[in-house]
Amino acid sequence: MSVLVFAGASQFAMVQLFSDKAPTAIVVASVLFINLRHLLMATSLRAELRRLPIGGRLFAAFFLTDESFAMATGHFRRGGRSLAYYLTFAISLYVLWNLATLAGIVIGSAIGDPRRLGVDFAITATFTGIVVLAIRRRADAVIALVAALIAGSLALAGASTVAVITAGALAPLIAVFVRR
Amino acid sequence: MIWPAILGSAAATYLVRSLPFVVGFRGHLPGAASRYLEALPVAIIAALVGPAVVAPAGALTRGAEPLAAALVVAVVAWRRSLLAGVIVGVVAVALLRII
Repeated sequence: MSVLVFAGASQFAMVQLFSDKAPTAIVVASVLFINLRHLLMATSLRAELRRLPIGGRLFAAFFLTDESFAMATGHFRRGGRSLAYYLTFAISLYVLWNLATLAGIVIGSAIGDPRRLGVDFAITATFTGIVVLAIRRRADAVIALVAALIAGSLALAGASTVAVITAGALAPLIAVFVRR
Repeated sequence: MIWPAILGSAAATYLVRSLPFVVGFRGHLPGAASRYLEALPVAIIAALVGPAVVAPAGALTRGAEPLAAALVVAVVAWRRSLLAGVIVGVVAVALLRII
C-alpha cells in the first residue's frame, strides 16, 4: 500500500475503513477527497515544474506530498531555482517512507506511543517554520492565520477530510481583495 | 476486497497529483488569479498546521500544541532557522504534554 498509494493520511484512513469492512467505492472516494488538496499543491508548483518535459512532470508528480510540497515551496521562496532540491527530497521521502513501513511491519508492536516523545509534532513544527519564513507581507500573515483557523475549526467540527482543501482554497481569496 | 481498493486509491492519489501538470494553460493570468496563486502555497501549508495544532488526534487540544506552535513561530522569526524551531517545538510539546 505504501509503495502504490504513498499518502500518509489516506493510508491511515484506509486501514480504518478496511477494518470497518467499507466497500471499495467508499475507500477510493475517501482517499480522493483527502488528497484533493494535492490539486492545489500541484497547481501552485506548476510554474516551477513547467521547465520539465511532460514525462519528467508525470514522474515528479508521483512523489508530490505535503512534505515535499512544503520543502520545495520554502526553497523557491528563498530564491532557489533548482528542481533537483524537490526531486531529491521527494524521492528520498518515498524510499524512507517505504523502509519505515517495512520496519513498522517487522518491529511495530515493540514500540510504544510516539506521542509521548513529541516526535509527531516535528512535522507540524516544520510546516509552522516554513510558513513563518515564507511570510513577506502583513497580508501573508493574515492569510496564513485565517487558513490555519479555518482548517482547525473544520477538523474540530469533524470535517477533517475536507479541512485542508477548503481552508487552502478560501484563505488566498484575501489576497485577491488586498491591494499591495 | 482490499486489492481493488488499494489500486483504486493509488489511481486517485496519482490523478490529483499529476492533473495540474498535464492540463495546461498558456499566456498570462489576470492579476487577481496570479495574486490568488501566489498566496496559495502559504495558505495550504498553514492549513496543514491548523488541525494538527487545534485538534491533534482529532480531539480539542489541551493547550500543549498551540503553546509549542507559538514558540516555534517566535524562535523561527527570531533566529530565521527552521531546525532551531523544530527542535524547540518538539522538546516543548513533549514537556507540555507531561504537565
